[in-house]
Amino acid sequence: MHNVFAGLAQGLLYSLLALSLVIIWQSTHVLNFAQGAMAMFATYVGMTEIEHGVNYWWCVIISVTVGVLFGGLAERVLIRPLYGKPEINAIVVMVGFLGLIEAFVAGIWTGVTRNIPPPFSQIFFQAHGQVILLSPFVIFQFVLAISIMLIAAAIFRFTKLGLQLRASALAPEVARLLGVRVSRMLTIGWMFSAGVGAVAAVIIASGNFGLYPTNMNGIFVAGFIAAVVGGLDSPLGAIAGGLLIGLTEQFILSYWSANFASLGGIIILVLALMIRPQGIFTKNVERRV
Amino acid sequence: MSKRRVRRTITLLTASTLALGIASSGVLLSSAGASSSTPGVTSNSITIGASVPLSGIASSYAPVSAAANAVFKWIDSKGGVNGRKIKYIRLDDCYDLAAVDASCTAGASTTTLSVNKVLVAQDHVFATVGSLGTQAEESVMNYLKGNGVPQLFVASGSIAWNNPKKYPDLFGYQPSYVMEGKIFARYIKTNDAGQTVGFIGQGDDFGADGYLGLVDGGATIASQNHLTYNPADAITGATSDVQADVATLQANKVQVVVLDSVPGFTTGILEIAHALGYTPKWIISSVGSDPTLVNTVLEDGATSLDYFPATNSNANPWVPWLRKVLEADPTDFPGFSASSVISGNDIYGAGYAVAFAETLKAEGKDVTRGGFVKTLERTTLATPSIEPLRYSGGNHQGLTGGAIAGVVANGTNAPQYALPTKTIFTTTDAANAPLTVVPKPIVQQIPAWLK
Amino acid sequence: MDWIRSLRSQDTTHSRFLVVLSLTVLVLLITIFLPPVADSQLAEGAAIAIVILGLSWLIGWSGQISLGNSGFMAVGAYAASIWAQHHATTPLVFTFFLAIVMGSLSGLIIAIPSTRLKGPYLAGMTLAFSAAISPIAQNFTSVTGGENGQFLNELATPKWFLHLFHGQNAAINANAQWSCDIAIVVAGVAFFFMANLFHSRTGRAMRLIRDNDVAAELVGINLTLTRSVAFMIAAGFAGLGGALYTILNATVNPSTFPLTLSITLLTLMVLGGIGTLSGAVIGGIIYSFSSNLVDHINALTGVNPDSNLGANMQGIIFGALLILTMLFAPRGIAGLWGPLRRLKKPHRRLVTNQEVK
Repeated sequence: MHNVFAGLAQGLLYSLLALSLVIIWQSTHVLNFAQGAMAMFATYVGMTEIEHGVNYWWCVIISVTVGVLFGGLAERVLIRPLYGKPEINAIVVMVGFLGLIEAFVAGIWTGVTRNIPPPFSQIFFQAHGQVILLSPFVIFQFVLAISIMLIAAAIFRFTKLGLQLRASALAPEVARLLGVRVSRMLTIGWMFSAGVGAVAAVIIASGNFGLYPTNMNGIFVAGFIAAVVGGLDSPLGAIAGGLLIGLTEQFILSYWSANFASLGGIIILVLALMIRPQGIFTKNVERRV
Repeated sequence: MSKRRVRRTITLLTASTLALGIASSGVLLSSAGASSSTPGVTSNSITIGASVPLSGIASSYAPVSAAANAVFKWIDSKGGVNGRKIKYIRLDDCYDLAAVDASCTAGASTTTLSVNKVLVAQDHVFATVGSLGTQAEESVMNYLKGNGVPQLFVASGSIAWNNPKKYPDLFGYQPSYVMEGKIFARYIKTNDAGQTVGFIGQGDDFGADGYLGLVDGGATIASQNHLTYNPADAITGATSDVQADVATLQANKVQVVVLDSVPGFTTGILEIAHALGYTPKWIISSVGSDPTLVNTVLEDGATSLDYFPATNSNANPWVPWLRKVLEADPTDFPGFSASSVISGNDIYGAGYAVAFAETLKAEGKDVTRGGFVKTLERTTLATPSIEPLRYSGGNHQGLTGGAIAGVVANGTNAPQYALPTKTIFTTTDAANAPLTVVPKPIVQQIPAWLK
Repeated sequence: MDWIRSLRSQDTTHSRFLVVLSLTVLVLLITIFLPPVADSQLAEGAAIAIVILGLSWLIGWSGQISLGNSGFMAVGAYAASIWAQHHATTPLVFTFFLAIVMGSLSGLIIAIPSTRLKGPYLAGMTLAFSAAISPIAQNFTSVTGGENGQFLNELATPKWFLHLFHGQNAAINANAQWSCDIAIVVAGVAFFFMANLFHSRTGRAMRLIRDNDVAAELVGINLTLTRSVAFMIAAGFAGLGGALYTILNATVNPSTFPLTLSITLLTLMVLGGIGTLSGAVIGGIIYSFSSNLVDHINALTGVNPDSNLGANMQGIIFGALLILTMLFAPRGIAGLWGPLRRLKKPHRRLVTNQEVK
């Protein structure tokens, strides 16, 4: 039973990243391969001062802020010139960006793992002598991830900004006619997505893995698979996909072998793509002739 | 020109240049100026090399080859061996993990093989001496053998180095992980009988050999408590298996954990356990238990295997000798003084450097690769280790055992292997070979020419 | 350079053969004058060039994105290695053939669920495949040797070749030269096949599907079959490249072909030039001498190569180059000279507002 907590906790991280990918996809139809790396960079910037005694929460705020700004910058500088070009161009540019960020971070901050002192204890609870894979930090993970998702949903659903964002993605010409600054919405979409990704990176860095240049790679692959499985048009699908992968990995780890845990995401992906190639949650897309 | 003529011209040109090229290649590549026929050896010098982790996850081993270099410099300052100075080229291979290890400064496309190619094809070394890493050195065994380069005193306990029939020029140095495992198993039976035993090890031959030794020695480890991880994945975090491993052992209530990993991963595992509130008894392989690294994390200390004398006492004459040697090399050991700590890495490196130099001296003025190997197999070498170093035509492993020693966590930087007053065990790799007891450490005298 | 481009416009197999032959011989001659370490680097570059060729074919000519080529390399490498361990006396040609077959088969396996997928979904599938190779190789230890991997015997240099070398380091130089020559010849053969493929019915069908799959179907081309064949060809090339790479290094383990290699292949392909033969050659050369290039740049900019910044320069430079190339010169280095060929209309664009500016 305690496996469920661990699986869901890890799955929430994948969901966050998948959500950020979906937000970008919905607004600009770009698959951002550098999403994890950008979030990691933001965390590095935010956490540099933590060794000098700066409060953890300030560092988190700085990380998310830097992430948001970095996302907007990336859209303006890298993606803006690529509108109208083949979609492989954007994929390749983001792949290059991924390599650049990782190498740059390793060059400036060194690749040695930095341990961020977690805000809550990571020691697992024990009940009746059994170790439950739940700790105060894991609870914090749950609370933070779910809050961010709810906030994102609320913004999209209930605010004017959210309405404008959705309009820009679904019907850009109409939105423009109605006075929406569509190009600005695209940038905001990227900033939003980067913020969500940064939260995931902060959680990962504060956990047992610590902070090092490639710590988001595993999360990215799983988040990517979750987004694809859930359907790139569906935020709800992305979240569900992430949780599913997290649970599958945890169960493989417990009942089979830790070495096969990473195959969990892949198994899900293969099954999902064979059953329903457009993604489990998408609406059917007409084939245009 | 017509298309046909173009084709004919091309064919003619091609054929003639090909013929010319092959004919001249021999002439172009003959070397000039070498005065002997053994690569790396001249009348007044001998060049050797090593692929070692100077940066990256295993960089805590850098002092091993640095200490060896200090010994060679010491010998050179006294005129060298039989009039030849020893030149030791150490190249960084990041434990063969450069492609995934961001803390490696050797460049992402460096591999142990590429480094060895530089040593062999560019620097023309006589042999590699003290190259480090189980999987790293196994990946170049065939390359070195194919090019006739001896691979000496590999710094790893894999049993792969002990294969004289297939690799006659390949020699290990420390006791194998199998031997170590058997000795640990004996220790567990004597001191922790009835407790649950678990194992975490690297997924390469390091972990495999260590586990094999435990099983051969009679330790019972339930299959769910036998865990391995891939060093490359552990660095990139692609799978969370290191963390999961520790959590699994904690959930299975394992009381004694044998740990076969390099210090970079050992400290990580110990820290994870500490964060999880998991406090089993730790038994750590000799290569992963450097006290200067481990005792900052451990609260209750750990157990390991030791085959060198305690370096915080002058009871063994090699210790003050080594102190002199390290002080005399400010390049590799800046600021080393009478109060500095000599680590297990330092004495390990000094050990194989001494072995190399003594063999070289015994071979005499005429140095060849084949002759060196024969001399190594015939000579008893006087080195710092607590039991003799003896190779033979049938045994290329090296040291054959050690003493159970405690790694004490006393919060200071001084390495405190508890003095190995406990019994010394020696054995062989064979599954059912028994442990032989050696009553007390053997102190080998330093040869006069080295002092 | 004209010769390379004229390769594609050669009208007969015979003339293509001659051009490839002369180019191969030219390269072989150049390697004689290079030091042995450079020869080894170039040999590895040749193996990578073969893989890039297959990737270029898949992405550039059939319009399907794949991030899984490192996985296909691994399949070919392990196939060659496992075979060589048990049948050491088989001629090299057979081992390569086996690698191609196994690579193609794995390409087929991936193609079956993938041919219906477009764009990101296809990328996801291939990404997953590439990431799965390492755990699979690690865990089926009895077959693959697990983490430690496999260690092959060194490529045996024939006696007649050894006799051509004299001097103290004859054996080492001969071994390095022979390995390099084998690699170059294998690459030459691969390039020859690819040049022919371009002109074949399959090649033309491939390009039609890339540009307008509806029209292709109307003409009677079976989409699924042709796409699968494209995958199989690319995977076969990757398998050959992987096998060659492994034979040169005499070792393969689960970490030899990581996911990051797929990304590197993509980078090199783009830098060289998508969909061109010379692009694959350029990509291979860049791979061979990337560390030398980086050393030069470090020296020029005064960065200390042992510092963290210096050590990561390669990643920084490659990443930056890829971005700049894609933004300003998407046709890569090969596209920089010669008449600008009108790019065929791309299959899919970013679906957003055109009048953003």
